[in-house]
Amino acid sequence: MNHGTASIERAETRLAWLLVAPALAVIVLVSLVPIAVTGWDALHVHDLRLPWLGRPFIGAGNFVEAVNDPRFRAALLHTVAFALISVPLELVLGLGLAVMLHSATRGRAFVRVSALLPWAIPTVVAALLWRFMFDAQTGILAASFRTLGVVGPAFDWFVHPLAAWLPIIAADVWKTTPFVAILLLAGLQTIDPVLGEAAQIDGAGPVRRFFTITVPLLAPALVVAAAFRMLDALRLFDLAYVVTGGGPGSATEPVSLYAFITLMQRLRFGYGSALSITVFLLTFAFALVWVRLLGRSLTGARS
Amino acid sequence: MPRLIAHATGAALGLLILSGHTLACSSQEATTRLTFSGSALGPEADVVQRQLARFAERHPEVRVELQVTPDSADQRHQLFVQWLNAHAATPDVLQLDVIWIAEFAAAGWILPLDGFESGIDDFLPASVATARWRGALYAIPWFVDVGMLYWRTDLLDRAPRSLIELRQDALRVREAKSARLGLVWQGARYEGLITVFLEHLAAFGGGILDDRGRVIVDDPAAIRALTFMANAVNVDRVVPSSALTWQEEQVRFAFQNGEAAFMRNWPYAWALLQDESRSRVARRFAVAPFPAGEGGQPAAALGGAQLAINTRSAHPMLAAELVAFLTAPDQMIERARLTAQLPPRRSLYDNAELVAALPMPLEQVRPILEAAVPRPATPVYSELSEVLQVWIHRALTGQEPPAVALQQAAREMRAVLVRAGLSTEGPTR
Repeated sequence: MNHGTASIERAETRLAWLLVAPALAVIVLVSLVPIAVTGWDALHVHDLRLPWLGRPFIGAGNFVEAVNDPRFRAALLHTVAFALISVPLELVLGLGLAVMLHSATRGRAFVRVSALLPWAIPTVVAALLWRFMFDAQTGILAASFRTLGVVGPAFDWFVHPLAAWLPIIAADVWKTTPFVAILLLAGLQTIDPVLGEAAQIDGAGPVRRFFTITVPLLAPALVVAAAFRMLDALRLFDLAYVVTGGGPGSATEPVSLYAFITLMQRLRFGYGSALSITVFLLTFAFALVWVRLLGRSLTGARS
Repeated sequence: MPRLIAHATGAALGLLILSGHTLACSSQEATTRLTFSGSALGPEADVVQRQLARFAERHPEVRVELQVTPDSADQRHQLFVQWLNAHAATPDVLQLDVIWIAEFAAAGWILPLDGFESGIDDFLPASVATARWRGALYAIPWFVDVGMLYWRTDLLDRAPRSLIELRQDALRVREAKSARLGLVWQGARYEGLITVFLEHLAAFGGGILDDRGRVIVDDPAAIRALTFMANAVNVDRVVPSSALTWQEEQVRFAFQNGEAAFMRNWPYAWALLQDESRSRVARRFAVAPFPAGEGGQPAAALGGAQLAINTRSAHPMLAAELVAFLTAPDQMIERARLTAQLPPRRSLYDNAELVAALPMPLEQVRPILEAAVPRPATPVYSELSEVLQVWIHRALTGQEPPAVALQQAAREMRAVLVRAGLSTEGPTR
């Protein structure tokens, strides 16, 4: 290797670091520092209500308490179950919606905008909407289910520990399916129509074409959509907070809501930080694994 | 009143020496700033501003400021804790909910008010009990709230004298179809549920903590109380299951629309229910204490606000004078007239002015006040309450039997007390 090119490369590397330095600094400041502070708090007793306890270092004490805390374990289960139920629903419905949007010929822009509307509504508003619809006294859906005989006359959706999940999942699916659809629509538009035509000439029906051509070629978009949705679902907070408040009892309480109650209501900053860190690690671990898989599937598609 | 002021001033002088300030300090300045922080919703804002202005008239050197805080009790609590933890010198005088006093006192955030001791006998004992921590007085009751049983005078001849009668009356009214619902109370998972539970507990002779601060919610009396509540919802169905999602307002709407024979609620509902343009039960209801069950007493959960002084206040003496002024009989009567909030001074209940000022008949209110029961005075009250709310709600929604729920709740509550260094008791007894 030539002496001159090596020094040019070094200079360019230096310049590159210099150019990304501001962005890196911002990331460290707004993302890494708060996480580090929370992580540090998680290793201490820090109870705003009990100043006489001081702030002693207790190592993994808070995490040990979390592992032994049945309410935390239940919240963890709720969170994962919610993600595993709502995300696949959103992917399937989103795929259907994307195919419809893709094949719409007239009024394309109008159809797309109206399909996106639920996504544009703030989560809290959407949550209230669904809570009102399931309200036993005044809700239209609660009344419809009663009329259809699905539930008894005195049934209240928010008093039953399993039924209370329905409004939460419905709100999430309703709100985020359009988002998934738009991601998948972009994927659909990159598929060369010639492939479909060729298969049609070879005698493949629409179902066969969909599963052997569209779905495999859409895989990268599906993987990205699933990643976004899973990360969001694992951080479930606002929907549960507004629709059920985590009740009845704590039957619909996700980890983020339990962490919030611990931090802001009980004012146990140490233990609450430990719970928050656990949520963070959970989503981070998922993201890491998923990005690995995603990277492999994308390079696999290329070779 | 002059005697009380004199005492307050004496106490304040004591405080003054303790905190190292001198009188000259406040009089040399052209204006001394004194901050009062509390809720200022609707007529409350009006009455507070009026009274603060009157105080400032008497003290030309003082400028009194009202620092408005969120109306939601939880948010106000969170804000106060953050300020006091950061050793803020303002607000000087704080409006605290009865359940926060022990917490703030134990943390050293509010000053003991020994100078007020001699005049405290006039105040409702239950309300003074919540103002004490380890025997010392830390706050002065400002107004009181009591849980009461509203009953329909057009459907029933008299108020039920026992829980059994209440249940029978509710069943009868529902069977006769004169009202769709028997009894409605606050059953959502929040602090209101604890006040309803407390009244049932007292009705069966139980409690949350005993005199020595030990958890007793897994006692047989408590289990009987929660079983009664759960049966009312799930077996007799005299309480609608939707009530398990209701707070004060939804409960009031049900009663106001004439749907229920009984309602458990606070005094605020009285004036609203008498409004004929909105209420279908105007002049067709009365109030009584929540009745006793077997082995217990009629009970009224006690709420309300008290005034305390910030430990870091730069003007503790003036702050004590402001507290004495705001809790004096004249201000209390004015407050009752403008906001219908009940004064905690017992002597006022023989006062013709108060009778005229309050919208509700005093002969109905008096037995309720006598039945007032405080919630436990402990620095970890909110945390104990949160644990209890979850377990009671689980029991009422059929997720756990009452006995199991209360045993689990007691176990967790004992762990909270141990962690706080307030108890060495094990998780079970």
